[in-house]
Amino acid sequence: MTALTRHAGAVVLFGGAAVVPLVIRDAFFLDSLVLILLWGALSAAWNVAGGYAGQVSIGHASFFGIGAYAGALMVTRFGKSPWLGMLLGVVISIGAGLIIGFLSNRLKGPYFALSTIALSQVLLIAVSRWRGFTAGGEGIPVPFRPGFATLGLGHVAWVYMALAVAILYYGVEVYLEHSRIGYQLAGVREDEDAAEALGIATRALKVIAVTVSAALTSVCGTLWAQYVGFVDPAYVFSVDLSVRFALNTIIGGIGTALGPYLGSILITVLETYLRATFAGMKTGFTGIYLVIYGAALILVVRWAPEGLTGIAARLRARAAAGARGARAHA
Amino acid sequence: MLTLEGVTKRFGGLTAVRAVSLDVREHELVGIIGPNGAGKTTLFNVVAGYYRPEEGRVFFAGSDVTGRAPHDICRLGLTRTFQIVKPFGNLSVVDNVMIGALTRTPGVRAARSDAERVVDACGLAPYATARARALPIALRKRLEVARALATRPRVLLLDEVMAGLNPTELGGMVDLIRRLHAEGLTVVVIEHIMAAMMRLAQRIVVLHHGEKIAEGTPAQIVADRRVVDAYLGEEFVLAQA
Amino acid sequence: MDPARPLGPAQIDAVAQLGVSTILLGGIYALIAVGLTLIFGIMRVVNFAHGEFLMLGMYLAFWSFTLWRVDPYFVLVVAIPLFFVVGLVTYVLVMKGVITASHNVQIFTTFGLSILLQNVALVAWSGDFRFVRPWHLSVALRIGGTTFNLSQVVAFVIAVVLTVALVAFMKWTHTGRVMRATAQDRDAATLMGIDTDRVYRLTFAIGIAAVGAAGVLVAPLYSVYPTAGLQFVLLSYVVVVLGGLGDMAGALIGSLIVAAVEVAGSYVFGIAWKEIFYFLLFILVLVFRPAGLFGQRGSETLGA
Repeated sequence: MTALTRHAGAVVLFGGAAVVPLVIRDAFFLDSLVLILLWGALSAAWNVAGGYAGQVSIGHASFFGIGAYAGALMVTRFGKSPWLGMLLGVVISIGAGLIIGFLSNRLKGPYFALSTIALSQVLLIAVSRWRGFTAGGEGIPVPFRPGFATLGLGHVAWVYMALAVAILYYGVEVYLEHSRIGYQLAGVREDEDAAEALGIATRALKVIAVTVSAALTSVCGTLWAQYVGFVDPAYVFSVDLSVRFALNTIIGGIGTALGPYLGSILITVLETYLRATFAGMKTGFTGIYLVIYGAALILVVRWAPEGLTGIAARLRARAAAGARGARAHA
Repeated sequence: MLTLEGVTKRFGGLTAVRAVSLDVREHELVGIIGPNGAGKTTLFNVVAGYYRPEEGRVFFAGSDVTGRAPHDICRLGLTRTFQIVKPFGNLSVVDNVMIGALTRTPGVRAARSDAERVVDACGLAPYATARARALPIALRKRLEVARALATRPRVLLLDEVMAGLNPTELGGMVDLIRRLHAEGLTVVVIEHIMAAMMRLAQRIVVLHHGEKIAEGTPAQIVADRRVVDAYLGEEFVLAQA
Repeated sequence: MDPARPLGPAQIDAVAQLGVSTILLGGIYALIAVGLTLIFGIMRVVNFAHGEFLMLGMYLAFWSFTLWRVDPYFVLVVAIPLFFVVGLVTYVLVMKGVITASHNVQIFTTFGLSILLQNVALVAWSGDFRFVRPWHLSVALRIGGTTFNLSQVVAFVIAVVLTVALVAFMKWTHTGRVMRATAQDRDAATLMGIDTDRVYRLTFAIGIAAVGAAGVLVAPLYSVYPTAGLQFVLLSYVVVVLGGLGDMAGALIGSLIVAAVEVAGSYVFGIAWKEIFYFLLFILVLVFRPAGLFGQRGSETLGA
């Protein structure tokens, strides 16, 4: 397989995203595209810990929120560039990532997942209560100042910004799949004791994976806050958000480079469709959308644990077998 | 090469291993036998760094490795296998072995060719691309050995790699271990079944209730009164010998 | 409505007040946690949707009270068998398939269930905060020089009775013994001819009945809304972990500890910060005593 065919899905996906803004200028469409790419990149960031290292966090909103607030506060409180906020967010997220990484060494499976939720809840409460600095539960509107330095970009520019991050994160995961550290992480994910017996420093490796994942998540958090123009603790630190990163990845294909993006497309399109369909209902679309979301999660985990990429791989294998069979007959 | 000095490991009130001393010389093939619950696996876990002993020290290749992390001990040249095999189930056989090879060979390409050699040497070549979890138990035991070998150990600790094999498979495993030993590897084998051990080991250590009750050549061991007593309740095992 | 905040005058003896608050709150937490302990201990399954069944119990109390003026304590008579059936159905539809699956599958399946139930509630009953205000909520009682409302006290008494009944059931009935045997060794239980599927079905149903009953009981004490279960589920896990997995007596003591931390935390730092203490306590316990305060039975198998 050449590099091109191996990454055919990514070429189509990212190539398409690059071409579309040249043709379609519809703001709603471009907005969906930016969100697909950002959610995809966020899910890819989660995938580094949850997929490749097997450290399933349900508190990744912590890092998202840290990035979002670091950017927003840097702009509103200190009048500095959001890029500086992004940097600060990454530094804090690395700190928080080290804590979570440490927890991953003490705790396994469900306990680890629970501890990550607890961390995001602690941040949620702390940010909500520290009114003097964070503006508390009301949130912070982030002013729009045009220019690259202030991340005040138009829709088209945002598509390319999100696309750049998406491609970068995709590249990180492709690297993981073919590098020494990636194989060693696979060992850690499959069986920690065995990996340790084979000379792999499992604890250090898990901390690295979780910390990298945290930093990547934080970067997208800053971008998201600047793009949307508003942050509030109840959203950016929510369990729903953490679950969304995980769900996109699981539906797309956990532990694969393309999976998070496929999941993001499917879920975002589904959300947009349901939003349009149920917009008229009194209680709003959110509930219905999340009911389907929950049901999808139960079904996918049970019946298609390898997600869309897994299904695609199975179909491809069947097609290849079919072709071989046809050739044998001929 | 590998020296244990008065190693004691307790779990709460239970002493799983009591004051065991042992000296394994280079190129030796030592067997550790004992009834179930004698503390054999616990002893391996202490040697390989999974448990820290309450008392005693473990020396490997001249340095004190007591309480060092398992991965450090592996990098020093001592690799163990697990009684309950722990394959990386979703990965292929060759990837499993390659993860071991990467410990010595940082380059992925070089590690892969190392892994392929080891897979071949262990007779796993026909299954190289199969998922590890799809293998039958005999092959998984082999994979366990292959993966450990890929880390290029100087001492290999094998924990019941023969248990649960049929006579043909057992013969294959005995041959493999003999060959590895002949190639210069130091091997310590835990086995519950005495029969296999009698054919294989140069020297046998018998554990019972966590204590070393006998040590000697296979011939000395079968003649040892205490050993026979320890195994009294397990006549069928002796009968196989 | 916060049970940690007594109704009485400000000058009452703080220590007695905190002590009684702790006991009242601890009793209720015990009933919530005991169902989780049961499920966790016997089935070795993490149920992230546990809090949602509590939330459903709260709504049951709310609607019975609002529509038909039925007091929550009478609703219990219906709630316990109803939630038992809900538990059975959930087991068959959802849990049965994941009981031997990996932790990640269990985590996401029960998380999916949690999202599903929360949003069914959201769609059906909106996200508004609802309140159940029966007459006994405004009846003041003096205990140990402190004033509490009658609802708190009755909820406590009923919670303790139900918890004790459950503990007694586990300890002295044949079925209870079979369930505990299964908890200790799944494989051995199967070999001894125990129908483990039946045991799990029963365990899950009893666990859900307990938490549903707890939901009905606490409805007058807390506001009722679709995500009301979240703080309780995390709290229950603190209790379960503190008490040691599947150890029912441990869960009772764990409940009291959690209640004490909450009561003391709210007293010293203010109500607004009280949740932060569960979570900090939770992380600390997980890090320093992952096997619980009293033992380690079962923690290895769960961790593996």
